[in-house]
Amino acid sequence: MFVNYALISLIILALAGSLRIVLGPTIWDRLLGLNIFSAKIIMMIVLFSVIMGKPYLLDIAIVYALLGFIGIILIARFIEWRGKI
Amino acid sequence: MSIFDIIGYILITCGIILSGIGVYGIFRFKNFYSRILVSSKVDTVGFMTIMLGVMFINGLSFFSLKVLLIVIIAVITTPLATHSIARSAYLSGYKIKKGKYYGN
Repeated sequence: MFVNYALISLIILALAGSLRIVLGPTIWDRLLGLNIFSAKIIMMIVLFSVIMGKPYLLDIAIVYALLGFIGIILIARFIEWRGKI
Repeated sequence: MSIFDIIGYILITCGIILSGIGVYGIFRFKNFYSRILVSSKVDTVGFMTIMLGVMFINGLSFFSLKVLLIVIIAVITTPLATHSIARSAYLSGYKIKKGKYYGN
């Protein structure tokens, strides 16, 4: 039961983190918000798999961590070289 | 409620408080570079604490081994992603005004 409350508080923190994506003056603030948001999502997936008790749910977190990392690296390079990666 | 569960719950609470501080750090600091420095660092530590708590709850099993793999992946990738964001911001010529926001 305690892990449910942890999951709910993580959801609230993720929404607060995504506020920076909306507000961020520069595009890099938005990328920072995306980075924080995806880290929160990985935590939520792991806590959800603890609640459900299914170990195969953790593979989603692994794939999401790697893909989120590649996505953020791609966007950062895309901005840095102004479209000519 | 064995002793491992209690330790796990305490660790998860500390991890949530830490990631809450990380999210607070996003809005607390005024300019970009101090914001990205603080929030990504505190967030990674919060991530590790929560995952350690999960590992304590599940004891020695393949589940916690897989959680350990997630911790290793995230500890490597999150700082790299944050570094590339800050590097992209700096090399694209994003300078901080030397006005009143220079302090924090």
